[in-house]
Amino acid sequence: MRNKLNYLIGVSLKRKMKTKWFLIANIILAILIVGVINIDSVINFFGGDFNEKQKIYIIDNTNETYNLFENQLLTYEISLNGSESESSYEITAYEDGVDEVKELISEEGNEIALIFDTDEDNLLKATVISDGYIDTIDYQLIVSAINSAKTVLALNNLQITEEEYNQIYSSANIERVILDETKTGEDEDMNTIMSTVFPVVILPFFMLTIFLVQMIGAEVNDEKTTKGMEIIISNVSPKTHFSAKVIAGNIFVLSQGALLLIFSIVGLLIRRLSGGSNIINGVGDEVSSVISDIMNSSIGSQLIYIIPLTLLLMILTFVSYSLLAGILASMTTTIEDFQQLQTPIMIISLIGYYLSMMAGLFKGAIIIRVLSYIPLISAILSPSLLVLGQIGVIDVILSIMITIGFNYLLIKYGLKIYKVGILNYSSSGLWKKMFKAIKSKENQ
Amino acid sequence: MLKIENVTKYYGDFLAVDNLSFEVKEGEIFGLLGINGAGKTTTFRMIMGLLEPNSGMITLADKKIDYSVTDKIGFLTEERSLLTKMTVKEQCLFYGALKGMSDKEILKRLDELLEKFGITNYKDKKIKELSKGNQQKIQFITAIMNKPKLLILDEPFSGLDPFNIELFENEINILAKEGSIIIFSSHRMEHVELFCKKLVVLLKGKAVLEGEIKTIKQKYRKKNIFIKADVTKDELLQIKGVLNVIEKADEFEVKIESNDIIDDVFKVVSKHSDVTKFVVEEPSLNEIFVAKVGEQYEK
Repeated sequence: MRNKLNYLIGVSLKRKMKTKWFLIANIILAILIVGVINIDSVINFFGGDFNEKQKIYIIDNTNETYNLFENQLLTYEISLNGSESESSYEITAYEDGVDEVKELISEEGNEIALIFDTDEDNLLKATVISDGYIDTIDYQLIVSAINSAKTVLALNNLQITEEEYNQIYSSANIERVILDETKTGEDEDMNTIMSTVFPVVILPFFMLTIFLVQMIGAEVNDEKTTKGMEIIISNVSPKTHFSAKVIAGNIFVLSQGALLLIFSIVGLLIRRLSGGSNIINGVGDEVSSVISDIMNSSIGSQLIYIIPLTLLLMILTFVSYSLLAGILASMTTTIEDFQQLQTPIMIISLIGYYLSMMAGLFKGAIIIRVLSYIPLISAILSPSLLVLGQIGVIDVILSIMITIGFNYLLIKYGLKIYKVGILNYSSSGLWKKMFKAIKSKENQ
Repeated sequence: MLKIENVTKYYGDFLAVDNLSFEVKEGEIFGLLGINGAGKTTTFRMIMGLLEPNSGMITLADKKIDYSVTDKIGFLTEERSLLTKMTVKEQCLFYGALKGMSDKEILKRLDELLEKFGITNYKDKKIKELSKGNQQKIQFITAIMNKPKLLILDEPFSGLDPFNIELFENEINILAKEGSIIIFSSHRMEHVELFCKKLVVLLKGKAVLEGEIKTIKQKYRKKNIFIKADVTKDELLQIKGVLNVIEKADEFEVKIESNDIIDDVFKVVSKHSDVTKFVVEEPSLNEIFVAKVGEQYEK
């Protein structure tokens, strides 16, 4: 005798995963994820080159600006990238005239020419020549370097050397002292870091939530609209049917989540094996730097319980969403009705997503702390507040307990609604029927 | 034996089934009739355990019907209950598995039934690609593939041509001979008359006519006489006890209020020389149904 619950779970998973659409969607996701991780190699393959240096020709009619400009440009580059690395500009002094350099640029296309002169006040004036538009970052760096060179030259006239100028304009040496011994200076920067990292981490969770709600809703509605539900429910209890949908939905999203992780690992492995260069403007370095910052902060040592707690809260929240989707789907008679009913769920999920992205702005206010306990949004809000140091581990455990309680209530009362709704094909007096079902003792 | 004892079902304040009782023995084909909204589907749903009656008992072999016995029940719903995105094979494997059958058993029985119904080439086709009639065949196959002890058929001949109706009839009769309890619902009285020995007619949830068809017909006093003779309609209508005369292509159908009138009609007809037909027949089930339901419906 086969187990009907296991069989229904298998059928649900097969209907979702053994389809060409599932295969196509995952091929696209795999290509996208591996491609984004190896974007520099991809662009190189199609003829682009991130390592190609931007050529700048300089005609220095002042005879003192060339070196100054080169130094200032390098300083700004280091300041932008956050680390000292090889310059992405190749600066060459151009000996011929302006007309020749214009001709050269219009032939080669991507090069830039700078002509340094002095104006009537003996101050530096520059002409920037290019064939087309200049990249915004390149242009800003060049303009900043020219302005700095102009200031240095002006100060030189007042007998202030470039060295003295750099000292004047260098950042002040600030020592940060925090009296609370449990807090460190490194953690203070986490607000900025986590506001960048968290949207990337929680986006797959948000995406999988949508998959989950739509999968359960579509399946229940398909069985209802075709009246196949009559035959199914005459052979298995609504409780078994409901459980099968919830379990299958969760297995599906967890499998899909695992696939996304595998695609990312494959992408990183390809990158490592192919010796991929730094991603655009040193984003690769940025990622390494962020990871290093996180590991050096107190969060690094807490990851051993932050990760399991976050995963547990996410799985419990998936269960909440699937229970809610199943209950709502049982109340509807068409997929259009379900789409209307699922809108509030999606809005709640979206609120959680935006709140977690803006968590740093609330500076640990009571309101955000209370919101982090609310089921459905706690899975993304609570961990983000935890890594920002605005709540403690105990708060996350409290969110987990509340979500377990919420799921218990959804199962207890939702199953009663499901039993009534699943064979109901009329939308008239629906809410009345549902409230009556909740109050009913017969359905227990 | 299937026993329905004093079953009543309310939907809110609406009385859907009112104190209904009947019994169906093994090997019997039982007709459950009624106009739309009479309470047939509610009764079927209660038998299947999908709905709980407010009062009364439904038992199969003296046991309450629950999920421990549903593997032995077959159910064909009035509307198509097929998952149209599945293929015929997938659909049968799905419903068969829900009946506790193994894949091997299902595929063996499926091949046998597909061949009987002449649709072996549709095995790997999607349900939505099939015609209405062929979908009905698949629905029937899924209902009988577990050789059910209790088979509930709600409008089984919907969308079928006479040839396929005969195929269904044969299969239903085979199951009945093997001892299945069969409950049958149809708007087509000739089908019910052909199959069922016993029936119950529902109106507004209440049984207005029940028992063996033979007895029902005997008890129904009105009869029909079919006459081919050189007689006029007016002559027949003037006879006391003649309710109506329907003039057909080459004969008259005379409706009389009881057997006592037959002699009076014969006397009038025999006065004419050219009498080629004088047949007294019991009224059709359809006629009794319309008369009974119409009579009660107007109350």
